[in-house]
Amino acid sequence: MTPAQAGGLTAVAISPLLTRLAAERATGALLRDRGTLFLEDGRIVHAESPATPGLDVLLTTGGGLAPERWREAVDRAGARRQVARFLVDSGGLAGGELEICHLAAIFDAAFFALSPGTGPSRFRRGATHWIGSVRSVPAAAVERETRRRRELLDAVWPYPLLDTSPVIPRAAAPGQTVTARQRTLLARADGVRTPADLAWVLGRPAFHTLLDVRRLAAAGLVETPHAPVLAPVETPLPDWITQTQSPDVALLRRLRDALEASL
Amino acid sequence: MANVETALKETLATIDGAIGAALVDYGSGMALGTIGGGKDLDLTVAAAGNTDVVRAKVRTMDMLGLKDEIEDILITLGTQYHLIRLMKSRDSQGFFLYLALDRGRANLAMARHQLQKIEAELEI
Repeated sequence: MTPAQAGGLTAVAISPLLTRLAAERATGALLRDRGTLFLEDGRIVHAESPATPGLDVLLTTGGGLAPERWREAVDRAGARRQVARFLVDSGGLAGGELEICHLAAIFDAAFFALSPGTGPSRFRRGATHWIGSVRSVPAAAVERETRRRRELLDAVWPYPLLDTSPVIPRAAAPGQTVTARQRTLLARADGVRTPADLAWVLGRPAFHTLLDVRRLAAAGLVETPHAPVLAPVETPLPDWITQTQSPDVALLRRLRDALEASL
Repeated sequence: MANVETALKETLATIDGAIGAALVDYGSGMALGTIGGGKDLDLTVAAAGNTDVVRAKVRTMDMLGLKDEIEDILITLGTQYHLIRLMKSRDSQGFFLYLALDRGRANLAMARHQLQKIEAELEI
């Protein structure tokens, strides 16, 4: 995609249905191919997507929460839909930390849930999520951020194929520095894992990993995959086209006259 | 224990000369919360731009082989101070507090001290 096309696409509303639901102050779950947004009074209170690690992974693998604490909270407060409050009240997690991670998870999952080209959206009115209430963000803020993220990825290194291909590290050039954060990611890139797989292993949001991988590719530390160029299909043309002779003008005239006569 | 909104409100209310503040997600350059600012200082733009500042400094430290951590970064303008404070316990995930101060009214030493306190409250 050329930058001009990308710019044109971003001008289009991210999700007209989401805009309408926000205006209606609707409550429920907006289900799309690549994720679900949970709304309460038209504001987004939670989001999840199979394309990115959930809050549990961010808090346990990426943060300092023991997995048992998370399971305990889900077991004991999941039915009441107050998992977030239970985590904080039981002392497993600071309120600020939970809130920060939850906000990061909402914007991350929403980026994938709102990705273009996904199929029809459905809205399940009244549905809520068991995490319970933490913070809510306006739908417009989520749409704006999703747009900013798309533009940021293309501004860094406009090769969307990187997002779904296995990450293949390349040796650093002499004198090139690799930061600790980059080394952590590269150490886990085994040539099979995609950026999404790496996000799970690292316990980082998937968008952050996409961005890191694009930056690494721009720096030459990761291979940039290229779309296979379709070889032009060589269909041999029939002789009557290639072996052109000068048109038989007399024949064409007779043909035209005959056609006109039959009109 | 504080939530993001109260921490940011406290930043603006208790730090002399504070013009605006934001809590920024380093990995994406997004402001998770902002307060103050206004048309002269778009905090969401500042959040994204200052992420690049932090990344550049981290890279420089790696080039120099410094095995240390950034506590804060100070940028002095003609009329403002910009203070970036990296939040510690979240190491690789990375969040930072961004504070813009009016240079004429601010006490830099006090501001750094108070920002450190607010950061600690957010995490504990």
